[in-house]
Amino acid sequence: MIDAFAAEWYKLRTIRSTAAVFGAVGVFMLLCVLYSWYVGHYWDGLSAAERSRTEASPPDQLLAVTLPVCAVVLGALTLTSEYATGMHRTSLTALPRRLTLFTAKAGVAGGAMLAAALASLAAGFLGGKAVVGDRALPTFHGPAGATAAHLLWVGLAAAALTLITYGVGAVLRSTAATITSMLGLLIVVPVLTRLLPSPWDDRAWSLLPEALPGQIAAAPGTSGGEGVLPAPVAAVLMAVYVAIALAVGAFSFVRRDA
Amino acid sequence: MIEVRELTKRYGATTAVDRLSFAVRPGTVTGFLGPNGAGKSTTMRVLLGLDAATSGEALVNGGRYAALRRPMREVGALLDAGAVHGGRRAFDHLGWLARGNGIPARRVTEVLEQVGLAGVARKRVAGFSLGMRQRLGIAAALLGDPGVLMFDEPVNGLDPDGVRWIRELMRALAAEGRTVLISSHLMSEMELTADRLIVIGRGRLIADTSVRELAQRFGRGVLVRTPRPAELTEVLEAAGGSVEPAPGGPATDGRLADGRLAVGGLDVEAIGDMAAAKGIPLHEVTPHSASLEEAYMALTSGNAEFTADAKTQPTTEATARRTS
Repeated sequence: MIDAFAAEWYKLRTIRSTAAVFGAVGVFMLLCVLYSWYVGHYWDGLSAAERSRTEASPPDQLLAVTLPVCAVVLGALTLTSEYATGMHRTSLTALPRRLTLFTAKAGVAGGAMLAAALASLAAGFLGGKAVVGDRALPTFHGPAGATAAHLLWVGLAAAALTLITYGVGAVLRSTAATITSMLGLLIVVPVLTRLLPSPWDDRAWSLLPEALPGQIAAAPGTSGGEGVLPAPVAAVLMAVYVAIALAVGAFSFVRRDA
Repeated sequence: MIEVRELTKRYGATTAVDRLSFAVRPGTVTGFLGPNGAGKSTTMRVLLGLDAATSGEALVNGGRYAALRRPMREVGALLDAGAVHGGRRAFDHLGWLARGNGIPARRVTEVLEQVGLAGVARKRVAGFSLGMRQRLGIAAALLGDPGVLMFDEPVNGLDPDGVRWIRELMRALAAEGRTVLISSHLMSEMELTADRLIVIGRGRLIADTSVRELAQRFGRGVLVRTPRPAELTEVLEAAGGSVEPAPGGPATDGRLADGRLAVGGLDVEAIGDMAAAKGIPLHEVTPHSASLEEAYMALTSGNAEFTADAKTQPTTEATARRTS
């Protein structure tokens, strides 16, 4: 198992698409800081009355929206890029114990995504907070514990999406099909849930992967109220999604001919 | 040591490998021959645990490949030289393989030198020619210094120097006591490289023989043309010769349709004397030295006599259907 993890980590860090994905995460982190500078600048031009009515998005908002896309791409490429070239056969020849290989790939991709997400969220948030300084923006100055919990769950949700996509990729075996399906789930399905009659629109939306971190630990200082699930239920649901995707993916990976 | 026993692999309604049995022993280069689609690659994929056998078994060193903990130290395989990520550097492609099998990193440098890719070790594989990819694939197979080696069409895409290099490498690896199995659809290449031959067609074993035996079986024949082939066949077979209709079919010569027979086990003089004794006219008697290439073509021509060879394969319903 250690050999398999080491080999998969070696693979992940020696292809350029990995650098591209994490490069994108880095760029969005910098954009979080730029956004914070803009908010501070805008704030300075407001009257006291306007300031009391203004709610700025928290500094990590940009990352919270873009991390899922990066997570989907990483999760898909981890396996489907090998099917495109036939590399999966080379991988299975080197590491023929399939469940071990599947686990190592999941661990490396999920772990790398979690580390990159948490690092970029922390840097983006703290950078943004430093840029706005002592301006009284509530979304920038939440309690440390609640802020940390919020960032942690946004990061965990990104890692969860990487794992879900990885499981889907093991079944579909195609980069295009996997990324299209998952981005459809992230971008199109939320819009469709809004077409349902109330209160089913909120209920359906609350079940979507991207809606879960906000229901578990909302960004401090935001008005909140999005989603109808209690935090523990949302957390369990995230774990269930990951477990189902990985179980189906592992079954497909272990049982089908390579 | 590679053992395949009664191996069958079906993909839906297609039978790719049909009750195939053979063994590959150490110290020899064994050629695995058959036309495209004969089931060579499928057999190798089953041997490497990539595809599951429908029935039967395929063993390496007495066990299943998929059960090996560090397989590259026991078995080196090259199935598809294109199965590499183009964005990765040659050194890194071997690097992750080494890491996954507990092979020291210095072996990466060693095998890259051995296959002549040391100069491009830090180049991305996407820029490699097919020949360079073949060399990289061979380097990967050699990485763990394994006792068993399997190569699927290793000379594809290589220039004449590369072909000779492969030939010498395979022979050297076998001389070190390793088990070497090379698949090919080119008999001309195997003639120069292999000691033993396993010939398959339509997933079934056609011949498991040495190169020398095959050359003798097909190479010392006499081609006879006669207007009375049935009578001559009877006479020659009674004398202990083997007689088979020769490729090319009956030739029309004047008014008579002559039969062409490939006769084995009898020389030109004996055939001529016996024909004269029985008064059978002969229109042509040619000592025929078939090349291995021709022998192979005859073996794999898809002709019923060869695919339903009663000596190597019992006739099954499937065969009956196929040859009817």
